[in-house]
Amino acid sequence: MTRISRAKRLVPAVIGGAALTLAVALPAGAASVKLPKSGVETPSSGTVSETGSSLLYPLFNLWVAGYNQTYSQLTVQTASTGSGTGITDASNGTADVGASDAYLSTSELQATPTLENIPLAISAQIVEYNVPGVTAHLKLSGKLLAQIYQGKVTTWSNSAIAKLNPTVKLPTLPIVTLHRADSSGDTFLFTSYLSKATPSGWGSSISYNTTVSWPNVSGALAETGNSGMVAGCKATPGCVAYVGISYLTQVLQAAQGYAALQNASGQYVLPSQGSIAAEAASFANKTPANGTISLIYGPAKQGYPIINYEYGIVNSKQSTTSTAKNVRSVLEWAVNPTLGNSATYLAQVNFQPLPTKVEAGSIKQILKVK
Amino acid sequence: MGPTAARGSRRRGGLEIAFRVGTYLALLLVLGPALWILGGVVARAVPHWRWDVLWTPTKGSSGGLEGAIIGTLILMVGVLLIAGTIGVLAGIHLAELARPRKSGKPSGGVMRTAADVLSGFPSIVLGYVGYVALVVGLHWGYSLLPALLILSIMVVPYIAKSTETAVRQVPTAYREGAEALGMSMGYGLRKVILKSALPGIVTGLLIALAIACGETAPLLYTAGWSGSVWTGSFIGGHQFSYLTYPVWTFYNTSTESGHSLSYDAALLLLVIVLLLLVASRIVVARTQRHAESH
Amino acid sequence: MSVVGGTAGETPAVPPSPLHAAATHRDAAAHRRVLQVLRRSESGVWRWAGRIAVMLPLTALVFVLAVLAVKAAPAIRVNGWNFLTGSTWNAGSGYGGVTHTDGVAHPIGAEYGAWPLIAGTLQTSAIAVIIALLISVGCAFALTERLPRWISRPLGFAVELLAGIPSVVIGLWGILTFGPFLAAHVYPIIADHMPDVPVLSYFRNPVGHGEGLLTGGLVLALMIVPIISSTTADLFRQVPRLPKEGGEALGMTDFEVANRITVPWVRSGIIGATALGLGRALGETMAVAMIAGSIFQVAPNIYSPMSTIAATIVSKLDGAQTDGTGFAVATFAELGLILAVISVVVNLAARGIVHRTSRLGGPVGRGA
Repeated sequence: MTRISRAKRLVPAVIGGAALTLAVALPAGAASVKLPKSGVETPSSGTVSETGSSLLYPLFNLWVAGYNQTYSQLTVQTASTGSGTGITDASNGTADVGASDAYLSTSELQATPTLENIPLAISAQIVEYNVPGVTAHLKLSGKLLAQIYQGKVTTWSNSAIAKLNPTVKLPTLPIVTLHRADSSGDTFLFTSYLSKATPSGWGSSISYNTTVSWPNVSGALAETGNSGMVAGCKATPGCVAYVGISYLTQVLQAAQGYAALQNASGQYVLPSQGSIAAEAASFANKTPANGTISLIYGPAKQGYPIINYEYGIVNSKQSTTSTAKNVRSVLEWAVNPTLGNSATYLAQVNFQPLPTKVEAGSIKQILKVK
Repeated sequence: MGPTAARGSRRRGGLEIAFRVGTYLALLLVLGPALWILGGVVARAVPHWRWDVLWTPTKGSSGGLEGAIIGTLILMVGVLLIAGTIGVLAGIHLAELARPRKSGKPSGGVMRTAADVLSGFPSIVLGYVGYVALVVGLHWGYSLLPALLILSIMVVPYIAKSTETAVRQVPTAYREGAEALGMSMGYGLRKVILKSALPGIVTGLLIALAIACGETAPLLYTAGWSGSVWTGSFIGGHQFSYLTYPVWTFYNTSTESGHSLSYDAALLLLVIVLLLLVASRIVVARTQRHAESH
Repeated sequence: MSVVGGTAGETPAVPPSPLHAAATHRDAAAHRRVLQVLRRSESGVWRWAGRIAVMLPLTALVFVLAVLAVKAAPAIRVNGWNFLTGSTWNAGSGYGGVTHTDGVAHPIGAEYGAWPLIAGTLQTSAIAVIIALLISVGCAFALTERLPRWISRPLGFAVELLAGIPSVVIGLWGILTFGPFLAAHVYPIIADHMPDVPVLSYFRNPVGHGEGLLTGGLVLALMIVPIISSTTADLFRQVPRLPKEGGEALGMTDFEVANRITVPWVRSGIIGATALGLGRALGETMAVAMIAGSIFQVAPNIYSPMSTIAATIVSKLDGAQTDGTGFAVATFAELGLILAVISVVVNLAARGIVHRTSRLGGPVGRGA
């Protein structure tokens, strides 16, 4: 037999061997990431711990209650500790799911490269104030808020505020700025807004982060958690605070007002279903596969400027396959448009559902968790 | 008595009155706020008290405090076992070791200094060390064992000191009698000395438990938080619950249930501390009665 | 079958044969020897257990300081002396880049200067100790000198109870009740009547809302009063009757007896107790974190919000790990190290004072 014909006889063997390997490998790889018809994998019994963003916390509690109605074998523990803690705990493994309003930074990804930030819903942030006698929605711009938080505008009757609100009678009350004492995604959102609105001012000097070095403003107060901000503002006439939209009911109950913020097109927009959805739509096609994108100060003409994806920070390398499956199950339930992402849950906290494209991207990220 | 002397005695009289008033005022300034705190907690917790808080686990910031109550009790038992053993043994050693030194120097050397320094150490720094060395460094995660170790480190100096005092106070006659009867050191210790020092040791242990159950800062960074009851794991990232956490976090939540849980936890903590202090007073009273009966 | 020597007082029914007696005697001796060995080793066990146990606090202390020093080393190298004098707490642009200084990685723009925290710690502790010392000595006198036993016993118990109240519960009361009360009713009275004179101007308006330096100091004072007053009361009880009665016989008033006899007798003990209280105040975390206001500044007036080292660590530590370079966590180690050093120095100084004054020798007949 010639060498060539011997080689020819090897070819089918090689092809067969390759096919066999593929046949074994592919199902093994594919079997662990198969999404059932219901869209949610069935969990095994155990506990999943979630901690982090106080902005997502009210919604996550609602989700857990709904989730346990179908899947009672899995206990989900929640805690409101701030986005910074959520990211930290997810990265060092002390929590299974970290909730954060802020996406991961480069240094965090460098430290733990297997972390994923998975968009779960769309939320927004409002700027609330306690100015006795003012019931209208004040118009505030990013530039003005930066000046307030830097101590350059110190009274509500200041001409800068009056210029934007000529029809409102503003008292000569000193402004008390409230900021978050803990490491907070709301701080991240607010400072992102200020940075994008004044890139050469706040943007270059203080910039944005979950904790920033707040300029020393006389009378400024620090609070813990979104509820601390609402309670603190309620107790302090003249206060201005940034608060997640899931606390809008509490803000209204405390008889406080919230502002119409200036967006990138110069319009003053109130946070509403329509304005948030419009802003979100403008980013739907731009959201990358890893979910990392800032939705602040978008191009939508009538879009509300401070909106964000609520992220579930998860380590794609879990310690056991059952923990991974449980985590996937909870998150799949949360992003499903008929389950967690339906109006039944989201409307209670004024959140918006993920656009279809983004939801598909989230599912892909969730399925990476093993 | 001339005018100067009369003026002098008037001034002295005035000072005396001021002193008396001052001491009673001081007492009031201490007791007033103490009662205010107790009254405040009771007034906030009792109106919304539900007995099922005791056996419902915590879900988010609502539900009950079952996990936290059991967690605090477990921490107390654990601290009693670990810190109690080490502290009592150390106290005995310090008392027996320092005894022969009749040079008048009260200090027992480096060991006692270290124990004293440790007792005044800021608890949050111990919590930090527990976090970086045990929780993150050894990858134990937030769990029971790092919390127990850090709490024990905090509390051992108190127990050692009170044990040492109690053992020192045992009359030398007892020791000499035991030696005269031919008892070995260990046997004499066990049968004679410890038996008479026991009330003092027990008081020290109860006070240490009161300190341990009221700690928050070190637990925040070693035990984490979990609303459910202890699953039996010592390490491995199953976070642990304790009563001081709801007091620290839940008062700030936007739900009424969160506020109620915060006050309820505060009330339960006060009850536990009260029971421990009453127990220690009973022990002291028993000793005195026992001693007086001799 | 034979009765082993040890059950004393039990006589066998059958009179023992000499062989039997010898056997019993040997068993008894063997039994006694076993017990002797056991008892000797028991003493050994006690001795060794005691030695190990007493080493453990020292080991723990060394371990804690070592961990702090190792963790803080990179931060110390980069932050330098500016950490003690500067007033910034900038974690850097977390979403910007990472740079290296002296071989240590940190986010761009990260800069830490902890002077406001150090100042805040010292200020709150100073206020607490001054107020607590005055109140404690007065309280101790009231408990030991004048009141009958049936009142002073339960009152003493109430003071002990105050000592046992957890710090978070006191903080909760401070932030919900005490702070607002002070800001609404007490501070305005003080602030409105303060002249604009260099030191007293610190007490002028604005009065704020109750979260601040003075409230923090007062609550801290409340927490350390039980420690100082119960130790002081014990010390007062130990002062011998003779000198006091002698003073009274000479016509001294109660105040003079207290001032010239009782207090000097136990002065070193009071100093020691105060140092203990100071140590507790320096490290107090939860109550201060709740009521001091958490603002990173040196308080411009006595009612302003500020922060202390311990309060800052407890509220910002877990957020610090979002700095993936680990630099923020190292800075917190440095912060904790500073607090630990302050606390250790205070503790050792107090022990030094107590030993020195006690060795200077008191009046005749004092101590044995």
